[in-house]
Amino acid sequence: MELLRPSSVEELDGGLFVHGGTEVVPLLREGLLEAERLVDVRGVVPHGIDGAVIGAGTTLAELEVEPAIPAALREACRLAASPQLRSMGSLGGNLLQATRCWYWRLGYPCRLHGGDRCHAREGEHREHAIFANEFCASAHPSDVAAALVALGARARTSRRELAVEELYRLPDDGNQSTTTLEEGELLLELELPPVEASVYLKAMDRKRWAFPQVGVAVARTADGTTRIALAGVAPIPWRIERTEDLESATPLPRTEWKVPLAQALVRRALAALA
Amino acid sequence: MARLIRTEKEVEGRFEEVWIVVEEDPLEQWPEGPLEVVGRPAPRKDGPERVRGEARYTADIRLPGLLQAAVLRSPHAHAKVKRIDLAPALALPGVRAAIGPCEAHGLEEEAGFAGAAVAAVAADTFVQARAGVEAIDVEWEELEVVLDPDDAVKRELLTAEPRTYERGDVERAFAEADVVVEGTYRTQTVLHNSLETHQAICEWQGDTLHVYISTQYIWGIRQSVADTLGLPEDKVRVVCEFMGGGFGSKNSPDEYTFVAAELAKRTGRPVRCALTRREENTSAGNRNATIQRLRAGARSDGTIVAFEGEFTNSVGWSGWNASTEGPMRMLYDCENVRTVTYGAKLNTPPMKAFRAPGFVEGTFGLECLIDELAAKLDVDPLELRRRNYAASNDGTPFSSKNLEDCYRLAEPHWERRHEVHARSDAVWKRGVGMASQIWYGGGGPPSYAWVRLGSDGRATVITAMQDIGTGTRTAMAQIAAEELGIPLEHVDVVLGDSARGPYASISAGSSTLPSMGPAVRAAAADAREQVEDIAEQRGLPKDTPLQEIVAVLEESQILGKGARGPNPTGMSVLTFGVHVVEVAVDVETGEVNVERVAAIHDVGRIVNPLGASSQVEGGVIQGIGHTLSEERLLDPATGRILTTSLDAYRMPTIADVPEILCEFVDRPDEHLTNLGSKGLGEPPIVPIAAAIANAIRDATGADVHELPISREEMLRALREADERAKEREKRGAPAAV
Amino acid sequence: MTELRLTVNGGEHALDAPVGTSLAHVLREELGLTGTKIACNEGHCGACTVQIDGVPQLSCITLAHAVEGEVTTIEGLREHPLVDAFVNADAVQCGYCTPGQVVSAAALVAANPRPTREEIRHAMAGNICRCGTYPKIEEAILSWQG
Repeated sequence: MELLRPSSVEELDGGLFVHGGTEVVPLLREGLLEAERLVDVRGVVPHGIDGAVIGAGTTLAELEVEPAIPAALREACRLAASPQLRSMGSLGGNLLQATRCWYWRLGYPCRLHGGDRCHAREGEHREHAIFANEFCASAHPSDVAAALVALGARARTSRRELAVEELYRLPDDGNQSTTTLEEGELLLELELPPVEASVYLKAMDRKRWAFPQVGVAVARTADGTTRIALAGVAPIPWRIERTEDLESATPLPRTEWKVPLAQALVRRALAALA
Repeated sequence: MARLIRTEKEVEGRFEEVWIVVEEDPLEQWPEGPLEVVGRPAPRKDGPERVRGEARYTADIRLPGLLQAAVLRSPHAHAKVKRIDLAPALALPGVRAAIGPCEAHGLEEEAGFAGAAVAAVAADTFVQARAGVEAIDVEWEELEVVLDPDDAVKRELLTAEPRTYERGDVERAFAEADVVVEGTYRTQTVLHNSLETHQAICEWQGDTLHVYISTQYIWGIRQSVADTLGLPEDKVRVVCEFMGGGFGSKNSPDEYTFVAAELAKRTGRPVRCALTRREENTSAGNRNATIQRLRAGARSDGTIVAFEGEFTNSVGWSGWNASTEGPMRMLYDCENVRTVTYGAKLNTPPMKAFRAPGFVEGTFGLECLIDELAAKLDVDPLELRRRNYAASNDGTPFSSKNLEDCYRLAEPHWERRHEVHARSDAVWKRGVGMASQIWYGGGGPPSYAWVRLGSDGRATVITAMQDIGTGTRTAMAQIAAEELGIPLEHVDVVLGDSARGPYASISAGSSTLPSMGPAVRAAAADAREQVEDIAEQRGLPKDTPLQEIVAVLEESQILGKGARGPNPTGMSVLTFGVHVVEVAVDVETGEVNVERVAAIHDVGRIVNPLGASSQVEGGVIQGIGHTLSEERLLDPATGRILTTSLDAYRMPTIADVPEILCEFVDRPDEHLTNLGSKGLGEPPIVPIAAAIANAIRDATGADVHELPISREEMLRALREADERAKEREKRGAPAAV
Repeated sequence: MTELRLTVNGGEHALDAPVGTSLAHVLREELGLTGTKIACNEGHCGACTVQIDGVPQLSCITLAHAVEGEVTTIEGLREHPLVDAFVNADAVQCGYCTPGQVVSAAALVAANPRPTREEIRHAMAGNICRCGTYPKIEEAILSWQG
């Protein structure tokens, strides 16, 4: 294995991108990722905050104490992972992290690994999805992604600009990826539209250092529209329009408990917004 | 004089009859209360080296030529090796040796659980050893997998004969009872997850095997390794100077030790076999899950007249049938008790002792049932416990029991419940719960110590025991300092090496202090008496400081020796306590906050109040993890373990810790040794789950019957309570909380 | 093998290691700095915590070849007053997580010399202690007089 350290987008030439390494290094060690070439992209990805633009290389630890960013994003960063992981992990890396589904992490031949069934659906799935869980019942673990989707953030990559929401896609038989990034495409910056108010609420089974059982981000933009996005409820960050949409959830037998939990958190978040 | 006796030896609630040689214990106990050193808070003697990262754990030992081993483990919950080819592993770079089933103790052809050890490879680096393991070619024959404990019991797939116990006439007592409550309680599988994984380094020097191992029982390892390998015990040297946690899981040598020994023999080099964290979660043992079907009957005045319990321990592929029924038999004065305990043999990883095995699980069921009974009788839970106070252990007197004093100390905490309730609001409901604790912890002989005193007036305590993190070195130094009348700073403690001191007890079953403490005191007293003889010969007055007396000795040394005396005959030596817990429950999201824990224990004399409070806090916190967030999960189809890493197996962090108040009765057990101390490692984890569950019921009216009390379980119980209340309203009865 | 340069506790080191080797491995196996413990080796427990330019990071999932700043391990913090604070508060049981706890705590008090209980709990939540020394760790950090 080799390690390249390019200093500009132009120098990028394949390989596996690594920034803080908190996701890539353990996955490499477990054999869930393979690479002959590692590319340390810290010299390429912008770092820091410039007005409404946040470099994708900014760490969660830097963002959790940043008064200039919306409350939902700050809180999502503050409640994510552990202090050390927040110090290492970048905003961009957090958005692109893989599910915590134990079947996927243990390398079961599940649909996300190209297999023909979702082991969680018939197996142990108490931490899994309540929406869009037909093909794959994994739950998206990123607090930050839910916050950015609710905030209506846009992303700039090495090739294009798009809404953060459009970074994500539901996996299917033809394509198991949960993101729309292409091979070799690198996330560079996030841009936040102005919002009037925003909130992030998170349920975990420890007070700190746990992935969201359910995370709820809500934001109200200047024109008065409210956007709601959830973490931990679908294979990708999941938007709903209103609390009632949770009634159309399709929980698995052991994820039914997430529905009333999500309802309570959405109600609370909306109340806090008002 | 040494005396040969036949006695009952207890470790972790298991009894066996053994012959032992005991020495008389002629020393009078010290008076109650803090003395000069004993009974006063002392920071750890080995605190600086541990905190500074200088303490050398087994994982830190580097021997010249050291090879690393990796173990091939079964991916199947039940399978047989049909064919195995080690040659592909041996062909890889760095690989020095490979062994298969039956070539080392613990490597077996039949794998009874996913994670069972089958083969092993030694290589220059761990990465190479791992690659070697992956290259081994195995053909498996998959066998039937049994995972459901009730099913196993029905089919009589048991690890041992069912254990039955009966006293009185249970049928009649239930028939005559005014009130009967029953319930099914379930507890989950939890893992020790000591931060230093199970590991050993083995090195042969001539015909002697040197074993460096992370263990709770140096002498047990020595005996067990010698027995298994057919060596004289003195040809096995066992070293463990510092170890990174055990909690009951490191009492025996296990496959990694034998793998290291065999690979060391084949390569002629020292070999380390260390479990990875993932292996720790699949193969290093666990606290087994239980199903408890319980029934209690009482008269309307609150007198409990009958208990009945059917207990199923999901023991797994190996392990023992822990006394989950113990609390039901022993905690209360009840004339009619009947229990049966099944040990289900399943294709799951082995049960291993885990901090008060059986009693932690059994106390959850029993003490929740007692609160259900209190509610039905409309008797205050504390009052109900007092009314059924056991004055003896089914006729056998207690060596000491001060549970009543624990209850008295609990009163002010219990009284807070009115004020706690008043702080509830529409979302956060607050409540207070309690649970009592009974457990062993008396230790026993044999255990020996030596005390070496030089002309500088400094003493060294020497014994080949281990300090598993409970503060053994410190407590032993305090006892020696007290007896010798010298400052604590003038006492050192040397331990951790079977070649460097006499036999010492296991550090399990809360036995370290009550087993070894009296031996250390006896050794120090022996040394002190010799010093007094010298003082007399020098014509010095009795109160001359020790340092002055021995100052003339130059190279001479005073050597004292001491042994643990016998336990009191015809008496039950047990520990007691009570926890009072305050919780807040978010009734919309199922979040449970444990806000305050008052932990009150009766464990005889407290030697080091600072270390004792740490033990209590640690037990409470581990118990909170068991109660709220920890659970080992299996794939129901294959029996493979899903929670193999610490993001999935969730132990408490510092943010999960409530306010914890420790109180001790601190009264020496007048019948127990020259010290009057019992052990404290386990008692604090025993009552916490039931106390939390009872507080939740007090706060919300919800019955939680299952551990862990996850949000899923909490929301289910809240919904059920809600439906119950609505049902009652429909029937016109007042809604009870 | 790829060359690797590291500054650890003020000293400079040059060595060869395959890309993918973790910083924790290099510290323990190449530099003999065994105060840094490996307990999970996948970034979940905090026992391997070191500071890189004063920021606590997990050395077990840090690629040694990607380290850019100055590494400080427990061996570089042995004279830190927090060591005595931990010992005196009994903030150590088995001690296996303790060096990592001290490294995290030292970074906390460097940034925030008078942390509140809440701030301590937030900053120390990534260091798992299975013995449950947490209340004493909190006391040790609160008692720190830097």
